[in-house]
Amino acid sequence: MLAIETHALTKDFNGLRAVDGLDLEVRQGEIFGFLGPNGAGKTTTIRMLMDIIKPDSGRIEILGQPLQPSTLDRIGYLPEERGLYRKIKTVDCLTYLAVLKGMERRTARERALALLERVDLAEFADKKVETLSRGMQQKAQFVATLVHDPELLILDEPFQGLDPLNTELLKEMVRELHGQGKTIIFSTHQMNQVEELCDRILLIDHGQTVLYGPLREIQARYAPHAVRFRGQALPTDLPGTQRLERQEEGFVAYLAEGVTPSLFLRQLVERGAEITHFEVVTPPLEEIFIEVVEKRRRR
Amino acid sequence: MNKVWQVARQEFVTNVRRSGFIIATIAVPAVLALAVAIAGVFGGQMGKFFEETFAGKGQTVAYVDYSGIFTPPLPAYADTYIPYADEETAKAALLAGEISSYIVIAEDYLQSGQVTAYSKSSSFFSSAIAVSEENIQDFFTEHLLAGQVAPELQARVVDPLHLTPVALDEQGQPTSKGAMAFISTFVVPYLFAILLMITIFTSSGFLLQGVGEEKENRVIEILLSSLSTTQLLAGKILGLGALGLLQVLIWLGAGFALMSGAVAVFALSGLLTIRVSTVVLALVYFLLGYLLFATMMASAGALGSTAREGQQISGIFSFLSALPFMFGNFIMMQPNATLAKVLSLFPLTAPITMMMRLAVTTVPPLEVAISLVLLALGILGVLWAGGKLFRFGLLMYGKRPSVAEMWRALRQA
Repeated sequence: MLAIETHALTKDFNGLRAVDGLDLEVRQGEIFGFLGPNGAGKTTTIRMLMDIIKPDSGRIEILGQPLQPSTLDRIGYLPEERGLYRKIKTVDCLTYLAVLKGMERRTARERALALLERVDLAEFADKKVETLSRGMQQKAQFVATLVHDPELLILDEPFQGLDPLNTELLKEMVRELHGQGKTIIFSTHQMNQVEELCDRILLIDHGQTVLYGPLREIQARYAPHAVRFRGQALPTDLPGTQRLERQEEGFVAYLAEGVTPSLFLRQLVERGAEITHFEVVTPPLEEIFIEVVEKRRRR
Repeated sequence: MNKVWQVARQEFVTNVRRSGFIIATIAVPAVLALAVAIAGVFGGQMGKFFEETFAGKGQTVAYVDYSGIFTPPLPAYADTYIPYADEETAKAALLAGEISSYIVIAEDYLQSGQVTAYSKSSSFFSSAIAVSEENIQDFFTEHLLAGQVAPELQARVVDPLHLTPVALDEQGQPTSKGAMAFISTFVVPYLFAILLMITIFTSSGFLLQGVGEEKENRVIEILLSSLSTTQLLAGKILGLGALGLLQVLIWLGAGFALMSGAVAVFALSGLLTIRVSTVVLALVYFLLGYLLFATMMASAGALGSTAREGQQISGIFSFLSALPFMFGNFIMMQPNATLAKVLSLFPLTAPITMMMRLAVTTVPPLEVAISLVLLALGILGVLWAGGKLFRFGLLMYGKRPSVAEMWRALRQA
C-alpha cells in the first residue's frame, strides 16, 4: 500500500496553472523530500492532499483510500503558515487540536504532556502559548502535529527558526518516527537536511515534476564523473583524467570517458600512491537544484 | 458531528472566561439592581423634592388684581396667594427679595384673559415654574366658578377625571389591574429588543474576533486540515450561540428577581405580567437573529486579513441592525406605519423591529409569519454565501479580497 498516490493532479488559480498534472507516489515508511523553488506549487499540492482545497482534476489516494474526512485524522500536518492559539494554555491548545483529529480528550492530554516533556517544554504546559519564545512555540507546533499519533506526517519547513541544538532534537524525533514506521513528507529549502534525512525526493517547478526518484540515484545521475582522493606519494602523471583540481579536502580528478573510478584507483595504487581517502564525487543536492531549475528558467 | 461538538465546546469554554463576557453579563443586572436600590432608598425623598421644585407647591404667589374677580382670595387659596394693592408695592417687594415673582391680572381679564408674570431675571427658572400656567390654573378656575355653579361641578371642573386603564385580552377579560401592566407590556418587549441586540453583538462579535484571530495566528490552516469549513462554522455558531443564550438567561433571571424585588419595594402590582407568546417570540427572534448575524460576522472575520480589518467589514452589518433603534421613536409612535412594517420584514432589521412593534401593538400573525419566513430564507442565503466566502477568505492571507474575487468565489465550487 502506498502512503500517498496522486494521478494527473491539476489546479488552476484564475487561469494560472499552479499544479500541472502531478503524478506522485510516496511509499509507506519512507522519508520523502518534497522540494521546489518558491511559488512552484508545493503548498497548493499539500493543501490538496489535506483536502483544504479541491483539485480541478486528477485523483488523490491517501493510505490506500480516496481522500475522505476520516483519512485526515491519520495525518499530521505542520503547515508553513502556522501558529497556535495564543491566549490559552499550551497543553489545552495541543489537546484541542488533537481532539479535532478525533482523539479521545484524556488520551490527547496525556500524549500532549508526554511530548511536551520530550521537547523540554514540560514546565510550559500550563503557561499560555503567548508566553513561549519563538523557538519554543516552534517546538510546541511540531508537537501539535504528533499528539494524535498520525501514520503520515507532512512537515513544511519543520526546523525553521530553530537553533542547532533544537534542530538536532527534532531531527532525532523525525528519525525515531521513521523508525516506528511512520511515513514522513518533508518539505524544505534546506538541501543539506534533505540529503541527511530523505530516501526519495520530488522536485517540482511551475507545478510540474522536474526530478523524482531515490535521492542517491538522482545524485548519481548528476554526478560529474569525478573522484575525490587524498594520500601520500601521489604520482605526478595521472592517465585517464581530463582535469585535476586541488581542493581543501584533497584532489578532485575529472575522469575521461571510459575510465571508471575503480580503474582510476587501481592505476593510482599501481603507481605506488598511499591512498587514505577515496570517494566518488556526488554533487550536493543544492547544486542539482539550482542547475535544474535555472536550466528550465532559461528555456 | 463529534467535531462540531468539540468546536462548540472549545468556543464556549474559551469565551465564557473572557473578561468582556463576564463584565457584560454581570454589569447589566448590576446597573439595574443599583437603579432599583437607589429608587428604593431615595424614592420617597426624591419624589417630595421633585414635587416641591417643579410643582411649585409650598411657594406663595403674589398677585395684583385689577379685574376684581380674585379679591379677596377664596379661603382654600388664602395661604398661598397674597394679594397686593398695586404693581408698585409688588415690584418693591420683588426687588427687596421678599417675593420671587408676582402676577398682574388685567382689568379686562374676563374679555382678554390677559395675565402677566414678573420675576427677577436672575431667578427666572424657579419663579417661572412657580407661576407656570398649569400651576395657577386651578386658582383661576375656582375663582371664576365660585358662586356661579354647583360646588360639585366646580370641584369636577378642577379635577375632571381619574383614569383607570384596563387592557382586555382576546376573550374580553381584563388582563391585569393597574397602570403598571401597561408599562410592563411596553417596557418588557422593548428591553428584550435591547438585550437581543446586545447579545447578538456580544456573541457574533466573539465569533468575528475568534475567526480573525485564527486567521491572524494561522491556526486556521491546521483547523482546516482537521475538519470541514461547514463543521468549523457550525461548531462556532453553536458554541457562541449557547454562550449568548446563557447570557440572556442570566439577564432574564436577574431581571425577574429584580422585578420581584421592585414589586416588594414599591408595592406595585401587575409588573410581572409578561405574555408567554411574547417571550416565545422573543426567543425565536433571538435565535434566528443570532444565526443571521453570526454567519455574517464569521464571513466578515474570514475575509479580513486581521481581526481588526474583519471588524471594519462587519461595521456595515452592525449599522443595519441598529437601524431600528434610530427609528425607535417613530416605530413606537406608529407601529403600523409602512416604515415599521418594512423594517420588521427585512431580515437584518426584523428581529429588533418586531420586538419593538410587539411592545406597542398587536402585530397581525400573518406579518409575524412572513417576517419569520423571510428571516429563515435570509439565514439560508447567508449560510450559503457565507460558507463559501468563509472558506475562500480563510485561505487568503495578507490581503483583503476584492469584490470581483469574492464574486468569483461565490460562483465557483
